[in-house]
Amino acid sequence: MSNKDDILKKYRANVRERFFDERSGKTGFDMPDLSDIKAITYPNPLVQFVKMTEMVGGQVIEVDPGRDVNVLIKELFPDAKEIASNLPEITIATRNPDTAGRARDLNGTDVGIIRGKFGVAENACIWIPQTMKEKAVCFISENLIILLPKSQIVNNMHEAYKRIEFDKEYDGYGVFISGPSKTADIAQVLVMGAQAARSATILLMPE
Amino acid sequence: MSTAHSNAAKEFLKNQTYAKWHDATFWAVRTKRDNMAYGLEEWEQLREKASAIKRHTITHLDEYLDQFATKAEENGCIVHWAKDAHEFNEIVYGILKNHNVKKLVKSKSMLTEECGMNPYLEQHGIEVVETDLGERIIQLKGQAPSHIVMPAIHLNHDDVGELFEEKLGSEKGNHDPTYLTYVARLSLRNEFLTADAGMTGANFGIAETGDIVVCTNEGNADMSTSCPKLHIAAIGLEKVIPNYDCLAVFQRMLCRAGTGQPTTTFTSHFRKARPTANPMHIVLVDNGRSEWVGNPEHWEALKCIRCGSCMNTCPVYRRSGGYSYSYFIPGPIGINLGMLRDPEKHSGNVSACTLCNSCQALCPAKINLGDQIYMWRQQLDEFGTANPQKKMMCKGMSMFYGSEGMYNLGTALAHWANIIPSPIINCGLNPWAEGHKMMEFPKKPFHKLWKEIKK
Repeated sequence: MSNKDDILKKYRANVRERFFDERSGKTGFDMPDLSDIKAITYPNPLVQFVKMTEMVGGQVIEVDPGRDVNVLIKELFPDAKEIASNLPEITIATRNPDTAGRARDLNGTDVGIIRGKFGVAENACIWIPQTMKEKAVCFISENLIILLPKSQIVNNMHEAYKRIEFDKEYDGYGVFISGPSKTADIAQVLVMGAQAARSATILLMPE
Repeated sequence: MSTAHSNAAKEFLKNQTYAKWHDATFWAVRTKRDNMAYGLEEWEQLREKASAIKRHTITHLDEYLDQFATKAEENGCIVHWAKDAHEFNEIVYGILKNHNVKKLVKSKSMLTEECGMNPYLEQHGIEVVETDLGERIIQLKGQAPSHIVMPAIHLNHDDVGELFEEKLGSEKGNHDPTYLTYVARLSLRNEFLTADAGMTGANFGIAETGDIVVCTNEGNADMSTSCPKLHIAAIGLEKVIPNYDCLAVFQRMLCRAGTGQPTTTFTSHFRKARPTANPMHIVLVDNGRSEWVGNPEHWEALKCIRCGSCMNTCPVYRRSGGYSYSYFIPGPIGINLGMLRDPEKHSGNVSACTLCNSCQALCPAKINLGDQIYMWRQQLDEFGTANPQKKMMCKGMSMFYGSEGMYNLGTALAHWANIIPSPIINCGLNPWAEGHKMMEFPKKPFHKLWKEIKK
């Protein structure tokens, strides 16, 4: 017998011995109904999303219709030399995570620009399915910019998990990101920029 | 009559300034947790649901494990099953050897700590680099974690500063946490880029999709898996949950309960390897869990999601620190898991509890942590770990309290003990005067006062 069979058999036997109920013929507990969770909602989820993003150390900028994001990004990071992105509307990119030879070649990226699908008002999470060959760009960049459609904000994680999807081509990975990388591991002092991006800027895009 | 825990705690309490800081720091984390919990009207409902999901999942885990493994294999992952710590270490080493791995970067995993994986791999010539900052600090220091979420909490910024001066060549005398974090960032960045493999633990495994879900603030799990060509995920059996609807409940609670944040910065879903990497390996580890589920009084310890809130709130943990416990996980959940692991070795921890039940009032999965500690205490005699002095005292007390005559005589005479000079009474042989002043016996015992009042 394989390890898997051994382990599952032993587990099953112990559960049955402990939890089998002769009267009902059932073993163990039922799954609770989760549809009645009275989860928090907000009168204006976007306002809450902005507030939470700032609370977790991120920056939010609303992009006016017709504004060129490339110009905006140049204004935000005038000293940036290496800009990595595979987004078609980003014309100032000097590197492309789709064509990087190795993931490590993306090291030294000053600004990485990626797209988020939707934001979550309660905790500033943004769902980012992998849509590039090397996901390293989402973490290795010193500064991260996430383009997020302004209309795509849900209230809470229950709503979020009902709608997350992976990319069709890069279907192996997705992540919720809420603000910049951080740590308080040295004497409980909060420091932004532990191992991943040191700053996170969310650009709210018009439809 | 001191236990192993209280003896170890004496060491911790020698530095009173630090002990006070430790207590206050964890109380501050507890307060942050309260603010988060009170900020959600549905918090208590979430706890109910979390507990019910776990009760269901743990009593049907064989089915969910099978579903999880099948799904992960469909996704293209290679799934391994380890019966115990030794098998786990062998499996991991086997995978690394096959891929000719010299250096492994890893994000925090209490499971690898449980299995003693790092020393095993190091003995076999593999360099293991911890990438969570706290874990990295204690690795450089040659220590074990003193808290499951804040592993280096026992060190202050001067300790870390001096350590980095020696190990990472940081500026002499610059012990600013921001600077030190940056030094570690640069050093770890180099490790990420040059490692041959990355390992993550798992906060959750999702049966319906085969996802491994990892929650970090630093992004180190993502960095560990973004550059190396190989990803190994280590997951304890009990971390598998049915689906995303269940995950939403736990994701919302994990960080709010643990560190008082609304979420971890990163909630990463790993379903299969990156396009340019080798297939991802998942190692499912039993190591006692299939046994524990059958324990009538203690199976609910398997509901734990390792948020750390029970230790943050515990008055004994806050005042004695992680190293005072003999098991590698301290605090209320650690006391219980240690007893499940090896009661003879870890009985010294069960006294590290005032039975205040603050832990179980907070636990997001509603584990009856304090009740379980109480039940373990009743079993100490079976394990042969009951304290003989206390046993004798209990026998004496049941004799004393069982006889009305002896009780009346004893309580009437007790106040004569007050005139014994204090150097004798506080000499250290009297356990009632340990760590505090000996109490004074009243001239009139309570039952007599009561009778007079009722007249």
